[in-house]
Amino acid sequence: MIERHSFYFTESQKKGTRELALLSIISQSLFQPFSLSDNLIVILTALTSGAGVGFNRAMLFLKDGDSLRGEIWLGPGSVEEARSIWEVLSTPGIGYIEVIEYNRSLVSKNKDTLTKRIRGLRFPLDEKGEGIPGLAERDKEILFVRDARNEPRVDPQFLELIAVDDFVCIPLLARDEVLGEIVLDNAITKAPIVSSDIKLAGMCGLIAANDIYSASLHRKVVEMEKMAALGEMAVFVTHQVRNPIAAIGGFTEQLLQPGLDEERRQRDLRIIRDETLRLENVVTQISRFLKVSLKEPAAFDINPVLVSVLESPELKAKLAGVRLHVKLAPCPTDVVCDPSSVGEVFRNLLENAVEATPEDGAIAVSAYPKNDRWFVLSVRDTGSGISQADRARLFTPFFTTKERGMGLGLPFVKQVMDSCGGKIEVETRKGRGTTFRLLFQTKERERPQ
Amino acid sequence: MKKILLVEDEKPLCLLYEEELGAEGYAVTSVHDADSALEALKRVAFDLIITDIRMPGKDGVELISRIMGMRKDVPLIINTAYQSYKEDFMTWAADAYVVKSSSLDELKARIRELIKG
Repeated sequence: MIERHSFYFTESQKKGTRELALLSIISQSLFQPFSLSDNLIVILTALTSGAGVGFNRAMLFLKDGDSLRGEIWLGPGSVEEARSIWEVLSTPGIGYIEVIEYNRSLVSKNKDTLTKRIRGLRFPLDEKGEGIPGLAERDKEILFVRDARNEPRVDPQFLELIAVDDFVCIPLLARDEVLGEIVLDNAITKAPIVSSDIKLAGMCGLIAANDIYSASLHRKVVEMEKMAALGEMAVFVTHQVRNPIAAIGGFTEQLLQPGLDEERRQRDLRIIRDETLRLENVVTQISRFLKVSLKEPAAFDINPVLVSVLESPELKAKLAGVRLHVKLAPCPTDVVCDPSSVGEVFRNLLENAVEATPEDGAIAVSAYPKNDRWFVLSVRDTGSGISQADRARLFTPFFTTKERGMGLGLPFVKQVMDSCGGKIEVETRKGRGTTFRLLFQTKERERPQ
Repeated sequence: MKKILLVEDEKPLCLLYEEELGAEGYAVTSVHDADSALEALKRVAFDLIITDIRMPGKDGVELISRIMGMRKDVPLIINTAYQSYKEDFMTWAADAYVVKSSSLDELKARIRELIKG
């Protein structure tokens, strides 16, 4: 037997406090920047906790192609488990925040016995899908299934899984799109499912669907931003590549002319070599920037890395004519970052500083612990400073003020620092110079055994 | 001798165009940014202007419109690495649009067409 319920409140609800309790649980999922799966656990908690709707068990499916894929099943796996779980959860002082935390740790540690049973299970969702649970999706209605064992439309495999007579199927709908389904029951207490519970559950379903929908929108936006950046890159790369090609082609043509004197020949070849190097540099920088992911952040001693950059011959050559002050305080803790990128990050900042600094100018490099949590690497120049307008686009890829810049140096620095939870501070004054400060998170150094 | 103003911030390309167009019998004055271009236009009566569009830190299209405001009837060739500006209506007023390539043939041909006699 099947009873159909609408999503919308038609009669006035008198149990005001219960709805309020439910709303306050669900608001957790709306106001905190949890991940989608965290948000869904909050909603399932709202459906199952005594303070919320109070169903015994909540099963979540997400739509995957033309089927429903089992994700999470919250609730006790047996009467014994129920007794112990509910004893813990009814301890005075345990509020829904603790319950959410408890559920989250259960699911994340894969200790939840029910979730193990449905994870990866699939039920068909095609147009003809007459079976429960798919039917709720097809009809876009809440279905209250009673006496399931005598209801032929319940999928036999599903009946075996859920093994109860009465349950409610809530389709997860957003913008008329089917995104998943929640199935609720009172398998342990056998308490009757009442109409007001179904209405509240429907509300939770709308919020869950909205969470799933916004997560998918967010993914799309990220994808679009990536495409936009790629488009910008294509235009920029065209320029960076066509100019050297024009020079190489033109001077090669000159070399092919008969009777060219040796001096001209040498000069043309030098230009061709330089332009080839430039093309190579374009490719290197782009591939470094597009590198899909940086290495996992690790804890390491940063000072030796800084010293090796400062002592590299290429950098020394670039620094010629600039006064360089270096003050590296010992770092008693490790810093957390991608060790293979830190050197490159430091080199980038130094090269920018050199290019901004006039002949008689100075660059100061210092590294010091700010407090227990942060270690600072600072590069200060006495150059021209950065204008307000350029300041805003400092970390935008392909933005450059240099004649031959790619506009990828500082975006790379930001990419590295973001990936390890670090921070970048910029202080600049027109005509007075610029200071870049990188703040690395620290970690206590493990003592060698 | 016909005088050409070249606005180009790429130094190797300036050198190439000066030599190659010089060999064709033109007197080439090259400048590297918009301000020097406008300055040069005030002083010298050129027979042709060749300009790039995008230079670091400057809006190339704005430069073009300023040059166009000054040049009166001097023909103008846009010579750039960007194909995309061809659709920008500001560049329609140019007499030719040449995309930079490894060969100078097209640029030379357009110059010959625009400077006659």
